[in-house]
Order: sequence, then C-alpha cells, then structure tokens
Amino acid sequence: MNYLYFLYIEFLSRHGISKLFGDITYYVIPFCIIALALLVVVLVLVLVERKLLGYFTQRKGPNRVGYWGVLQTLADAFKLLCKENITPSGADKFLYNLAPILVFIPVVTALGIIPYSSEFTFVNTSTNVILYLILAAFPVLSIFLAGWASNNKYSLLGGMRNVAQVLSYELPITFVILGIVTLSSSMNLTGITLAQYSQKGIFGWFIIPCILGFGIMFISILAELNRCPFDLPEAESELICGYNTEYSGMRFAIFYLSEYTMLFANAMFLSILFLGGYLSPFGGYLSHMIFGESHLATIFVYFEQAFWLFLKSSLIIFGIIWIRATLPRLAPYDLLKFSWVLLLPLSILNLFFMVVYKFLSGGAL
Amino acid sequence: MKTRTTFKLNLGPQHPSTHGVLRLLLELDGEKIISCEPDVGYLHRGMEKMAENMTYIQYLPTVDRIDYLAGFFYSYLLVDLVEKAMDVKLSEKVKIIRVMLLELNRIASHLLWVGAFLMDLGAVSPFFYAMREREMILRYFERLTGQRMMYNYFVFGGVRHDIDFLEDIEEIIKILPSKIDDYERIITENPIFVSRTKRKGIITPDMAKNYSITGVNLRASGIDYDLRQNSELYQGFEFETVILNDCDAWSRYKARILEMRESIKIVEQALDKIKSFDALRQILINPLTLKLPQREYYNEIEAPRGLASCYIMSDGSEIPYRLKWRTGSYYSVNLLRELLVGNYINDAIAIAGSLDIILPEVDK
Amino acid sequence: MDIQELKNLFGECDIYDEKIVIKSRMHDALVYVVSEYSFDILKSITAVDWGKDVGVELIYRLYSTINEEDFCISIISQGDAESVVDIFKSAQADENEIYDLFGIKFVNNKNLKRLYLPESWEGYPLRKDYVQTDMRIAWNENENDI
Repeated sequence: MNYLYFLYIEFLSRHGISKLFGDITYYVIPFCIIALALLVVVLVLVLVERKLLGYFTQRKGPNRVGYWGVLQTLADAFKLLCKENITPSGADKFLYNLAPILVFIPVVTALGIIPYSSEFTFVNTSTNVILYLILAAFPVLSIFLAGWASNNKYSLLGGMRNVAQVLSYELPITFVILGIVTLSSSMNLTGITLAQYSQKGIFGWFIIPCILGFGIMFISILAELNRCPFDLPEAESELICGYNTEYSGMRFAIFYLSEYTMLFANAMFLSILFLGGYLSPFGGYLSHMIFGESHLATIFVYFEQAFWLFLKSSLIIFGIIWIRATLPRLAPYDLLKFSWVLLLPLSILNLFFMVVYKFLSGGAL
Repeated sequence: MKTRTTFKLNLGPQHPSTHGVLRLLLELDGEKIISCEPDVGYLHRGMEKMAENMTYIQYLPTVDRIDYLAGFFYSYLLVDLVEKAMDVKLSEKVKIIRVMLLELNRIASHLLWVGAFLMDLGAVSPFFYAMREREMILRYFERLTGQRMMYNYFVFGGVRHDIDFLEDIEEIIKILPSKIDDYERIITENPIFVSRTKRKGIITPDMAKNYSITGVNLRASGIDYDLRQNSELYQGFEFETVILNDCDAWSRYKARILEMRESIKIVEQALDKIKSFDALRQILINPLTLKLPQREYYNEIEAPRGLASCYIMSDGSEIPYRLKWRTGSYYSVNLLRELLVGNYINDAIAIAGSLDIILPEVDK
Repeated sequence: MDIQELKNLFGECDIYDEKIVIKSRMHDALVYVVSEYSFDILKSITAVDWGKDVGVELIYRLYSTINEEDFCISIISQGDAESVVDIFKSAQADENEIYDLFGIKFVNNKNLKRLYLPESWEGYPLRKDYVQTDMRIAWNENENDI
C-alpha cells in the first residue's frame, strides 16, 4: 500500500468512518472519475480527429459551434441523445438492444486495468496483460451480434468481416506481447512499466530493442480497432456503415463511444508496453526537479505520470489519425493475407529475437 | 446433400458509392458476386421527350443537365449541330474559346472522378485535394458564365459574350501540373491502391468494343479511338492520345491522370491563341426564327465519359421531330452486368467506380 | 462499303445521305458487315417514330476501329424487330431503352424489360401517338392522389 492510500485512510479515520468504506471508495471513486473523464476525452478525441483530418485535407474542420468549434462534438452528442431509437421491423429486438451494451462493458472494464500512474491501477492482478487481451477481443462478439441482429445484409457482412479480421490479428498481438513479457519477466502492466525504468529515461523503453514488435503491434491494433486502412467492418463506400448501419440515436452513440474509448485504451496499452507507460522520458520526474523531495512533489508525481501516459497515447492516436488521412482501404483477402503471411511470422521472429536479447543482456529467462 | 445458398443484395439506389442513384441488384455467395443486374431510371427526366415540345433555344439551357460535371460538352453538341445545319461560318476565336472551355471542363470532370474514385477505395484526402483544384476551375467558370455547373454559355453561332479573366486560367494551368504530380505521389504507387486496382476489373479490348465502351475506358484497354484527333474543332492543337494496354482499373486511373495533363497542354495552346485575337466579333443565329431544314443530323464529340452524340431529325419546323442523345456512361452501366461477376463486393465498388459512371447521363 | 453487294444480299435498299435503309433481315446484315468490313463498335441504336402508317425506324450506327470509318444502316420496324444482342452486347442497353420508350419488341432478347419507366406505365412516351395530356407527370402508385 502506498502513500496516497494512507493519507486517505487517515483522513477518513479522523472523521470516524470505517476502513472498509475507505478500502472500497479508494478504488471506486477514482474509477468513476476516470470513466467520466473518458467521456470527455472521447468528445475531445472526436473533435481532434475531425480537426486534424480537416487540416490534413486543407480544410478548417468543425468551426461553427463555440470558439474554434470546440463545442461541436458536444452538440453532436446532444443531437444523438435526442434522436429516435429505431428498431428495424425484422430485427431480433432483444439481441439488437443487447449488442450496444455488450460492446460497452468490456471497453469500460479495460480502462480499469490500466496503470495510470504508480498509484492508480484499479484491478491489479498478476496477469493483467492476459486480462487486457481478453477484454480487447471481446467487443468482436458484440459487433457480430449487432450485425446479425440488425437483419440487414450490410450489417451482417460487416460483422462477418470484423470476426475474420480480429481473429487473424489477435495472434500477432499475442506473440508480440509474449516478447514483451519475456523482456520484462512480468505479466503485470505495472511490472512491465517498471521494467522499462532506467536513469537514461527514453533508452530504457522496450521500443528500443523491440521496434519490430512495436510496428507489428501498431498495425494489428489498427486492425483490431477497425481503423483505416483496416476499416473494413464499417467500410463506408462498400457496406454503408457496416455493423452499425441500422443503429440510430443513443445506441449508435454507444457504439461510437466504445469505439473511441477502445482507441484510447489501446493507445494507452501500446504506450505501456513500448513507451514506458507513465514513466517520464527524462529518467527523473519533473515534479521532483521543481519541488524537490517534498510531500507535495510526491502527489504531483502521480499527476505527472498520468500526464506522460496521456501524452504518449496522444502521440499514438495522432499517428493513427494521420494514417487514416493518407491510406486507402485494404481488400478483405489482402488484409487476411497480410496478417497470416507477413505479420504472424514476423511476430514469431520478434519473439525469438526478444528471447535472444534477454539471454545476451544477462537476464534470467 | 449440402447446397450453397446465395442471397440478393440491393446496392443502391441510396448508397454512398454509387455516385448518384444507380441500383445494382447483386446476387452474392458470401462476398462474391454471382450475378449483377443494373437498374437505372431513378433520375430519368425525359430529356428526349422534352426536346420534342421545345424550340431549340428553349431546349438549349436544359442540355447542360445531361451531365452536370461536363455541361459544356452537351451544349456544344447541340450548338455545333445547329450551326452545321444552318451552315454558319464561325469566327476563329469562338472555336478556340470553345476548345479551351471544353478542355477545362474535361479536367474538372476528371478531377472529380479521381477524388470520388479514391473515396470509393476508402482514402479520404485525395477527394478534398481534387475538389480544391476543381474549385479553381469552377470559380473561373462562375466568373465567366455566372454558373458553376449549368453554364449555358454556348449559343447558336457563337458564345454568349466574349471571354474574359484570362489571368485566372493562367494561374490554373500554372498550378495544376504540380498538383497532379502531388496526386501521383500519394496515389499512383501507393501499395494499397495498386493492390486494389491492378488486375482488377479487366476489360479486354474485345469486350470493350462489344459493349460499346468509349472514351478513356476504351483507350485504357489499348484501343486508339479518340474523336478529338480527327475533329475539325481541335485542328491546330498539339496533343497526344493516351493509350494504355493494361485494361484494368489502375490503367483507367492512370489514363485519366495522363489525359488531364494532355488537356492542360491544349488549354495552354488555346490560351496563347486567344491572346492574339482582338475583341470577339460574331454573328449569332436568331434563335426565334431558327428552323432546321428537313433532314436528319448527327454530331458527336469526345466527352469525358466517352463518346457523346446528338441525333436530330428535323421536319422543317421550329421544334425537332426527334432528338436522341448517346452518352458514354449508359453503356458502362450495361457493362457492369458482366464485369462485376466473380469479384468481391469491395472490388466491385472499385471497378464500378473506375468506369466513371454519372447517373444523369445514364438516365437522361 | 459496297452498296451493290448489300443490295444483292438483302434485296432493295434505299440510300439517304450517309444512311442505308434496308427492308428486312437486319440481323443478317449486321453479321455480314461485322465479318466483312470489321465494324466492331455499335455506337448506338436510334429509333425514330414515323407515325402509324410507316412504323418506327431503327438506325444502327456502327464504327470500325480498324478502318476508322463510320457506317449507318437502318430498318423500318412495324412493332417488332430482330435483336442484335448476340452480335453486340451493348445492344442490350439500346434495345431496352427503345422497348421502354417506343414499344418495339425485340425478338430473341431475353432480358427485355422496361428501363426508365415503371412496369405499370401505359403507353410508349416517345411515340408520336402518345397521349401528351397525361396526368401522371409525377408518377404515383396511388392515382387518386393526383
């Protein structure tokens, strides 16, 4: 247990509140805050994406609602809330309504296992990585469910494409993660983060030995997130909107929300695995440099760590958006071939490299 | 016994990438197309029936609507046909103005196609880049004619008023080549683009001829047929006919890019020629007394989407007895019947996009 | 193009300007000119209604990419005509259109159907005897609405 926890328990006991209450709320309250904050993050993310796409294509992007268009996504969200929820007449009503909920649950749960700073990991099991993999792959089921239940052929095709896509890109991801686990000798995300710590800052990160793995993982995550150039399940020009063609109003908003939350979660996951997670790129934390070793600095460090994590994942998201503005869409068979013929062997090779690297650098396997 | 079942998919008339209101009734096995039945007519305005109830000058403004991306071509067809019928001698400047505007319009039309085609393939940016350049041309058209798409600038015996704002065209032809280089840099050799278009949607020369495919699509199948080369209008202009032999979607893309470069050359030459002329002097045909002598007339031109032709049967009165348009896209739609079969849905979109189908032209 | 040869093969034919009008056997005539003079593109089929007494004239406009020459041949139809889809697949488009707007039935064309207009449309609009005072200017399933 650590510093902030003791401060909190001490504060509660001074007011005569039981330790059990403190134990529970210590995890629940920040999680709620993070979950709510992520709603805001998604709104910002959508705005940033539209703005960036605008600038990439020499437009202004949204610029009417609020100064610089900052309220545009808020207005869109409000519009979606007000819209009618339409259920197609031939749809399986129960599954059709269930799918958006099922897609949202694992996404929010995935947020709980990410170490935002050395203090805040809400679910801290020893095999966090495996748990994350499961949660990241789970939405595919709900997306297929949505495609099936919509009673729309475009939706069904979108759902089918998504299953094939996620199945073939799970394997490279798993092999790359095995490499990281070998390097860090840990299956815990905090453990992986701390294994990247060094006085030289950026040079301790796993991206240095594992640049190949980073590339594979980045591409695979694009595919898992259905982002361009792998946006086949919702290919606008082919399948209209893929699995969520029939969804409208709040149900569509939930799909949208989970999609962007997943984008953010995956970007954070990627930066934890390769870019040192919440570690500062300079080795030491800025808070320590400014405030010295005071109590205040210890608290500021937590926020600084979260800031570094957000910054790193923002960079990754920027890359993802940049790719979206540049590349055309792959064909489904090319997509599968790309994974099975190129990425999978490369990721196994990467695992082999990692084992050799670990062996040479004198670590215990 | 296990049987494979297929299902029908209704692609359109409301679909993001059918470029209007084309409806394709596809029969699918998984994502593979087994049969394709195009259904047109959602934009039918009865252009030919309209003509039988209007005098020529009444009909002239509606002609631009046959192809909203290349309005000049169709109004040129009608105007030129009437002039030939009335045996009018045009001033040299009018001819050059027409060539220049036609070629600018061809560039604008191809630019939109490049953008829309890449949009079909899932790339967002090229659409906006292409639109940006097209906008320059449309701005110029708007300054000159007062309209962005339906120009109504050519009139019987000449043009509505003298050409102006030549500095705009100078700027366009100065900027455009470098912009087309830009497109080529991000599109032409892009591995994803190449994998999506190379060896996809192959139209063999025999197939192209049999289906009466004309224009760029025919030339991308290796057949040298360009009406501009032998036409009276383009005499004195130096340009090459773009002929590619790959027959696939990629070569249709490349052919359009190359054709834009050729068109820029023509515009450049036309601009130089126009500068050497004095102010325009033309004698227009009085449209109110216009009656074509009794016989049939036929006129054709190389439009951006293939051979466009106009047939008029006149009975000597002020309205045509029968007027018929032949448009390129109409035959391209007919080709989809055979071309899409055996392809996957995503390729079908790319292939149909590569043919440059414009629905108002199909439905007339 | 040897007119005399055509005359021998297909009986009397009239020649106007650049157009040859034959009396019958259009399919055979097209097979002949395609094989003998390698006309490989059927640019278009144009139909002109000459009134009830004469019939509808079908003008076939051909082009040869090898010899780079045009050829125009036509036939007067009295309500049905021979389909040429087996020679030129592009004729499918033209024949559908002519069937739709002129009501010419092309024998041997299996896919003949109305193209622009709905199946329930009465009459053939480009015919000269078509009733112009048609109230169905905006097509509607329910005719009472108009």
